[in-house]
Amino acid sequence: MNFRIEMTDGRVLIGVFLCTDRDANVILGACSEYLKSSEGETEEPRVLGLVMVPGRHIVSIQIDDTTPPQKYYYDE
Amino acid sequence: MGDNDDYYDGDGTMESMTVSPEVTYNWVDITTDFFKHIQDLQLGELLHDGHLFGLFEAMSAIEMMDPKMDAGMLCNRGNPKPLNFQQAVAAGKLKIDDLDPSELIGIIDATMACIVSWLEGHSLAQTVFTNLYLHQPHSIINKTLKAYCIAVYKLLDCIRDCINKAQVFEEEDFQPMGYGYRLGSNPQTGSTYEAALEVTEQKCVAMLREQEEELNKKTRSVEDDSSNLWSALAARIRFTRMFYQALLLITKRDSTSGADCVALLNGCSEMIKVIIKTSGKGTQPVENSDSPNPMGFEPMINQRLLPPTFPRYTRIKPRAEALQYFDELVTRLRHAWKITSCANFHTALDFFMEFSRQRACILSRSALQLLYLSPSPATTASMAQSAMNGPVGQPRPHHAFVEILRDSVKSFVNPPALTPKSPMVSTPQAREFVENFLARCVRPFAVLLQVCGHNRARQRDKLALLLDEFAALQEEAESVDAVLSGAAGTEPRACFGTWILYHVLRVMIAYLLSGLELELYSVHEYHYIFWYLYEFLYGWLVSALGRAETLALVGTKRQDAKRASGRKQKKRTRPYAREGLMCQVMQNMCGGYFKALVAFKLQGKIRQPQSEFDNEAVRYKHRFAPLSVLTPPQVHYHEFCEMTQPLQYQNPLILYLGGCNHFQQARSLLDTITTSDPEVSELLKVAKTNYVVLKLLAGGHKRDSNVPPEFDFSVHRHFPIIKLV
Repeated sequence: MNFRIEMTDGRVLIGVFLCTDRDANVILGACSEYLKSSEGETEEPRVLGLVMVPGRHIVSIQIDDTTPPQKYYYDE
Repeated sequence: MGDNDDYYDGDGTMESMTVSPEVTYNWVDITTDFFKHIQDLQLGELLHDGHLFGLFEAMSAIEMMDPKMDAGMLCNRGNPKPLNFQQAVAAGKLKIDDLDPSELIGIIDATMACIVSWLEGHSLAQTVFTNLYLHQPHSIINKTLKAYCIAVYKLLDCIRDCINKAQVFEEEDFQPMGYGYRLGSNPQTGSTYEAALEVTEQKCVAMLREQEEELNKKTRSVEDDSSNLWSALAARIRFTRMFYQALLLITKRDSTSGADCVALLNGCSEMIKVIIKTSGKGTQPVENSDSPNPMGFEPMINQRLLPPTFPRYTRIKPRAEALQYFDELVTRLRHAWKITSCANFHTALDFFMEFSRQRACILSRSALQLLYLSPSPATTASMAQSAMNGPVGQPRPHHAFVEILRDSVKSFVNPPALTPKSPMVSTPQAREFVENFLARCVRPFAVLLQVCGHNRARQRDKLALLLDEFAALQEEAESVDAVLSGAAGTEPRACFGTWILYHVLRVMIAYLLSGLELELYSVHEYHYIFWYLYEFLYGWLVSALGRAETLALVGTKRQDAKRASGRKQKKRTRPYAREGLMCQVMQNMCGGYFKALVAFKLQGKIRQPQSEFDNEAVRYKHRFAPLSVLTPPQVHYHEFCEMTQPLQYQNPLILYLGGCNHFQQARSLLDTITTSDPEVSELLKVAKTNYVVLKLLAGGHKRDSNVPPEFDFSVHRHFPIIKLV
């Protein structure tokens, strides 16, 4: 499942969701970093690989809904 | 920590996900839900996919927003985004024409500081390529700056080529990554490559030369103070040209270039003196700024090119220090050049070891490798290796190095097998044996030279590995000696064996001593290290040298007898007298330390590890492990115990006196050396001081004190001064 996380400093991370805990520390695999661009120009992402995003630095979380909807674990 | 594998059963979803970059996303915000539902997790409980991800993987994740791990953070620290070349030009922050000479001097000096920072192991992207001018040198209108920037490209490429060929660097020495900058080929214009702008070596040199003349003209045409500025600038361009040309000659070495290279390096030395003197004339970096020059440098410009490892913060070397570095670098290169006049392998090897002792920089260490063997010892070694692994019966490729080794054996032991017209080489079998053996020697000896080029800390492990290869050579040398004396019907003469043994012993000694230099041994271990050196290695080395002299003498006599009988018997020379003497000096020094250490131990002056946490036999075995595969056989721990047993009952004062005599002996041997040599004077100082200290101890000084003595390695890296506190 692809996650798109915006961090407090404005950078956006897109990667495969791997793990989280109750403090919302999220681990993403095969992650790329995008700089938020004001003029709408898309810049080359920087490949980061495996990253841990501390919950306190997360501004927003989005998931990719292009794949057929699946039952999410948190819908339980 | 509770893992939560069965919390959900969506395992299949993860594996089916394959994301290609072209995918269009349909993002759905889940922030509120996400933060709400994670509250259901216990403290420390993890929600994860058990198949793809476990705690093990979690360990290698980099933590975002941690300044120590997150290189990308620095880009966003509120600073405006760094401007690239075009943006900076458009914004009027980067002049590409009408630059003052002081601005040019500032840019050039800052670039030199960046090059030095690169050579000290930082990445190219964070050093030299923070210079925006280098991003698009062809767009620069000012001709001097353009020529300089293009030359820097070529120079960087040449440096990298030299270092890559020599293969004597590790990650702490040098970063060869180019980060997509086309070094050496065509400096970029924007992001496109244009073959038409390709600059050859000759053209680059010609461009610089042209600028030199222009600047010299300007110097002469103006009368006021600014003529000094122009001549300072000319010196910088001239230095760049000569340095580049000299490095080209070193890297693409051919035998005709000798005199040129020396002249160029001498010219570099002169110019760098001028550069240092005029370094104040350029624009200076703003205080407390990370940028090495007010204009043209953008420390953050390449931040996004960096790999996702923790950010290595790069502080560019201060200009004064960087210019000093260049000055010393040129001096080291001039010194390295002297290797070309080392006639035989022994003197060359001594030169390599001596050069390494001075802890030279990566570029001069690499240059030395290339200057001695073309293309380099590393290449020679790998070529020899692949030839050995090739199909049997194929003709061996000819190495120039084989001839060097052949000459080395010949001058060291003068075996009949290498004497022209000797009856022994007339049998094809014997000749084949000798040739095979020499071919096998190529790799280990080339690697030995390569190891000498590595930094001091890395040499130790590499020497240990090399000892394995030498062990195989020793066996082969013995069988060659046996076959040769069998063929000639003479009594066995261990010619090749002696030659190999000599080198093996030197490597063994270097291995043990490096542990002292790298401070790997504890003080309570010193006694058996010094014991081994004193009792065996140096003694064996002295006798190997003696044997070599005898063998060589026999060889010479044999030849003389064959030649015209009327010739006078040559006066017996002892080519290794000096080396043998130094061995005896070292042996005595080691003996002195050993006896002093045993006495310290008996008097309880040396802190011993708690016996339940320590086993001396294990330590001993570990320390001498690399020596175990070779002849002469390793002396084992139980032998050590047996041999040193009687000393345990000695009076410590007698032992101090014994040690004192050893230092006295070393001292008087050193006094016979009249030629000045820093090594000799250092050893002399150590021997004299230790002699006095042990004399005092032998007289009962501080006999009841338990304060441990100090070992001070500041005068000599291997042989410490003993200090009583």
